[in-house]
Amino acid sequence: MTTTAPPPADTGATGPTGTRPAGADRAPAPAPVRRRARAAGARSAAGARTAAAVLGVLLLAGGTLAVLLSTGLLGEGRAARPVLDPLVVDALRAQPTLARGIAIAAGVLLAVLGLLAAVRAVRPERRPDLAVDVDPDTDVVVAAGAVAEAVSGQAGALPGVARATARLVGRPAAPALRLTVRVTEDAEVREVLRRLDTEVLATARSALGLATLPVAVRLEPAPAGDGPPRVA
Amino acid sequence: MRVLLRILAPLLGLAVAAAGALLAVEVALAWLRPTAGPLLPWPAWRAALEEATWRDAVVPAVGTGVAVLGLALLAVALRAGRGDVPLTGPAPEVTVTATPRALARLVGTRVRAADDVAAATVTASRRRVRVRAETWGEPTPATRTAVAGRVGTVLDDLAPARRPRVGVTVLARKGPR
Repeated sequence: MTTTAPPPADTGATGPTGTRPAGADRAPAPAPVRRRARAAGARSAAGARTAAAVLGVLLLAGGTLAVLLSTGLLGEGRAARPVLDPLVVDALRAQPTLARGIAIAAGVLLAVLGLLAAVRAVRPERRPDLAVDVDPDTDVVVAAGAVAEAVSGQAGALPGVARATARLVGRPAAPALRLTVRVTEDAEVREVLRRLDTEVLATARSALGLATLPVAVRLEPAPAGDGPPRVA
Repeated sequence: MRVLLRILAPLLGLAVAAAGALLAVEVALAWLRPTAGPLLPWPAWRAALEEATWRDAVVPAVGTGVAVLGLALLAVALRAGRGDVPLTGPAPEVTVTATPRALARLVGTRVRAADDVAAATVTASRRRVRVRAETWGEPTPATRTAVAGRVGTVLDDLAPARRPRVGVTVLARKGPR
C-alpha cells in the first residue's frame, strides 16, 4: 500500500525530503491510514480469534449433533445404529486407495497448518526498520528501536506526561507507531495531545521523511509517585 | 481474555498439528506395513465404536462435553476484543484510546482530588461512567452536582468519541473523619 505524499507547500521552506512544514493545513487522512492507526494500538489477535471461533463452532456443532442423534430426535432408526456405521466402513473399503490418499493428505495439511499457526502465535511482534532516502547514493536505515527511543524521550519531556513508551510496528513499507502515554494527575489531556502531534510526531515525520505516520496513542494514568516531584 | 487466547493459540495449533501428523503417519504405516501393529490401539477402538450405538449413555455425555468445550472456545474468541474506549485524537492519523480501567482511574483521581470527597469508586465503559462518591458529612444536592461537574470536566478534556452516560451516587461516609 502506498500513500502519495502531497506536494510541498509553496513557502520555499521545505525539508530535505520535501515534507510539509509543521502547521500546514492537514487534509483529513484517508481511510487506510486511519485503519492502520487503529490497528497499531495493540498486537492483532485476529488470526487466533478466527481460528478459535471456527474450531469452537465445529466442536459445538459436532457435540450438539451427537446429543441430538442419541435422543432419537433425528430419527429412531438412526439412534439405534452403531456409532461407527457399517455403511461408512463399507464405503471406505470400496475405495481403499482413495480413502487412504485423502486421509494422508488431510493429515499432512492439518499438521502443516497447525505448526504454522503455533509458530505465528509465538513469534514476537515485528519491529520494522525504516529506510530513509537521503540521496541516490546513500542508504540510510533507521532501526525501529532508535525511532522508538527518540519519540518516547521527546514525548516524556512534555508537561503533563510522566512517562511515554513508543514502539514502531507494522512493516517497513507501512510503519505505524504505538505510543503509550502516562499522564499525570493534573495534566490537561487535550493540550498534551496537541503538543504531542505538533511537536513530537511532526519531528518524527520530518526526520524519517514520511508524509504520514499512523499513530495509536494509548492513554493511561501515571501510577501514584511517578513523574516529577510535585513539591520541590 | 486476550491473554488466555494468546496462551491457547499455540497450544491449539500444536494439538491440531499432532492430530494431523498422527492421522497421516498411522494411515501410511497401515498401508505400507500392514503386518506391523499401529501406534495407537485403533482396532480395539474400532470394535468398541462398532458395538456402541448412538443411544448409549456415553454418547450424550461425550457430546455435551465436546459442545461445552466448543462453546467455551467460541466465547473466548468473541470476548477477546480490545474493548478500548476511543477518544478524540489531535489529528486525523492519530488515534487515541484508553482502556475502560484507565478511563475509570483518570476520572477517579479527579473526583477524589476534591476536599469534600473522602473516597470514590468509578466504573467506566464505552457507554457509561458510574461514580460512587463518599463525602464527609451528609451530602447535599450541591455536592452531587459538583461531583458530576468534575466528571464532566474530565470527559471534556479526554473527549471520548461517543460521550458515555454519567451516573453519580453520593453517600455520606460512615465513621469519624
